[in-house]
Amino acid sequence: MHRKNPVSFLGQMCMLKAHRILMVSDFFFPNFGGVESHIYYLSQCLIKLGHKVVVMTHAYGNRAGVRYMTGGLKVYYIPCRPFLMQNTLPTFYATLPILRSILIREGISIVHGHQAFSTLCHEALMHARTMGYKTIFTDHSLYGFADVGSIHMNKVLQFTLADIDQAICVSHTSKENTVLRSGIDPEKVFVVPNAVDTAMFTPVPTRLSYDEIVIVVISRLVYRKGADLLVEVIPEVCQLHPNVRFVIGGDGLKRVRLEEMREKYSLQDKVEMLGAVPHAQVRSVLVSGHIFLNSSLTEAFCIAILEAASCGLLTVSTRVGGVPEVLPDDMIVLAEPTPGDMVRAITKAIEMLPDVNPHDMHLRMKKLYSWHDVAKRTEVVYDRALLCSNKNLLQRLQRYLKCGAWAGKLFCLVMIINFLLWLLLQRWQPSDNIEEVPDIHMHEGRQDTGVSDS
Amino acid sequence: MESEASKKLVQYKWSKVAYGGMQPGYDDNYTDESFLEDMVMNANVVKRDFWKVMLDSISISQYLCIVALVVVVWIQTLHSTIDETFLHYLLKVSFFISGLYILAPVYHTLTRSISSDSIWALSVSLLLVHLFLHNYSGYTIRPPGAQNNPSLSSNVSLNASIIASVLIASRLPLRLHVFAVMFFSLQVFLFSPLVTFSIRNYSFKLHLWFSFLLIFVTLSVVYSLHVMLFIILLSLLVFISIVGPYWLIRIQEYKFEIHGPWDEAKLCFDITE
Repeated sequence: MHRKNPVSFLGQMCMLKAHRILMVSDFFFPNFGGVESHIYYLSQCLIKLGHKVVVMTHAYGNRAGVRYMTGGLKVYYIPCRPFLMQNTLPTFYATLPILRSILIREGISIVHGHQAFSTLCHEALMHARTMGYKTIFTDHSLYGFADVGSIHMNKVLQFTLADIDQAICVSHTSKENTVLRSGIDPEKVFVVPNAVDTAMFTPVPTRLSYDEIVIVVISRLVYRKGADLLVEVIPEVCQLHPNVRFVIGGDGLKRVRLEEMREKYSLQDKVEMLGAVPHAQVRSVLVSGHIFLNSSLTEAFCIAILEAASCGLLTVSTRVGGVPEVLPDDMIVLAEPTPGDMVRAITKAIEMLPDVNPHDMHLRMKKLYSWHDVAKRTEVVYDRALLCSNKNLLQRLQRYLKCGAWAGKLFCLVMIINFLLWLLLQRWQPSDNIEEVPDIHMHEGRQDTGVSDS
Repeated sequence: MESEASKKLVQYKWSKVAYGGMQPGYDDNYTDESFLEDMVMNANVVKRDFWKVMLDSISISQYLCIVALVVVVWIQTLHSTIDETFLHYLLKVSFFISGLYILAPVYHTLTRSISSDSIWALSVSLLLVHLFLHNYSGYTIRPPGAQNNPSLSSNVSLNASIIASVLIASRLPLRLHVFAVMFFSLQVFLFSPLVTFSIRNYSFKLHLWFSFLLIFVTLSVVYSLHVMLFIILLSLLVFISIVGPYWLIRIQEYKFEIHGPWDEAKLCFDITE
């Protein structure tokens, strides 16, 4: 492509280094969660750093086709329907043609998949490796080793990571977990945490009074998020501290249990249940409280803690997974996931409250976390991936063979068939016939990182 | 000035935290010596004793014998070698029985259009399902006041055995036979696990004696019925009570369990719905 605008020397240097990245995951806007916001903010900041970023996800309801988001972020909602928990049906090869045409049309150089239980991500990474693209995988969650589901997922992860160029984990605990699950070389795994949009999560200018202490809980009310712990903890805390009030945002299977607890202990005036809170209103719920309570039983990172801390709340959390790495010790009170220890931690947090200045905490969070920093660190990973040598099919098959006596051979078979399909596709639809998309350059200037979409 | 700065970098100690951006002097793929330090291996592995495993496996052998005895009764009734007058006595036991008695004609003609071979094949597979899913350490029928609900698999197991009884009963020549076999099978499949469980709870010695007696009786009855069946049953019992436990002890050394901070926390209290 020939550009008419004169580009400065520095700009040219940047353009030489600029990556062309395709982010792939089943989880993206309009869904909301840790993975979704990670992809969105990372993409926005990478675009600001001068890279080209395209997102691929499955169709959400009527939202299919190509959409543009803030800053010219192009999103392909490919026509695959999700069948379970926002996941597409694992078809192995069905996404190969559409992925190939997207990769060629957009002139992609790096494919970056997110989340271990996204089937679309695994398939896309498999096709990308077959076609010789550089691949990067980000793991956002933790898995055990004991139950059938985990054993199966770990095998899938081993397949995907067998021939990956670089992997990213969101916390050091997550890195240990990923290395154990997939047997990947620890040197290939980078730890790049999540961040928080501190401009969106600001404390209220006036400090709340301490006559009544409000404890905020915002999470899905399910077993893994420790809703059962809340059922045990809340009555005890209310009995111990009469001036404490709980605000619970979120919905889920365990909501009934919480409501039963509220009836049983007559805590209707002490426990407020808000139901599901839209992401745009999370901040307004957070700033109404003094303490944020996270009762998760497993958590790789927990962005919710960052959002709460950015709003100036003191956090009380269970000591699980990557949570102890997230905040400095004086900004969080950790507890073992038992009701007794949780109550002790909440009591300690209430005692600490007068020394906590929400505004100072917000300023500290600004220094500790920023998506810009995350993007820069991810950029380093991309640079490393490009330095990795290209392997031919035989060399790559050897890596798969090492994955297990039976699984290794199965993986090889899957890759060989994929390779043949790719050859067939090249004959049937030569890449010369696929038109490249001209790049859109947005005007330079401060852009709001808020989601704007039709 | 520059040396001071580099000294500062050298002095910086890596810590296992995610905040504050990239740690000076360390890349993001830096793997510290403390990597995987919190991993615990084989924390919950129970060292098993050969004798204990063998004695425990007796329960399985015992139940296998009970099922074998029921099958023997089926075969004998199919050949009609049991006296009919004895059956009349059982009639008077209770109301439940009369319900079963009323339904007997229905069972009698239930599978008339199906060949006997299919029925036998189906019954054998159902009994295999029953044996495979049976709860050998407890009972499916709850005595009043028992706490735990039976699991799904033990319920499926019980149902498989009942269907097998219905199928076999439907092949019998007389309605009274149908009723008697149904009644007998139901009683054994429903209550024998409870009886054996109670015996084991009362005295383990009694349980062992009872089991050995049962095994002996079953083997002798099966021997008189068919030699091939006897050999199969005997080898099965040897496998379950001697080879199986020995095998289990041998493969114990390959046990590999991993625990660490990434595990989902277990709740230390019961969730009462």
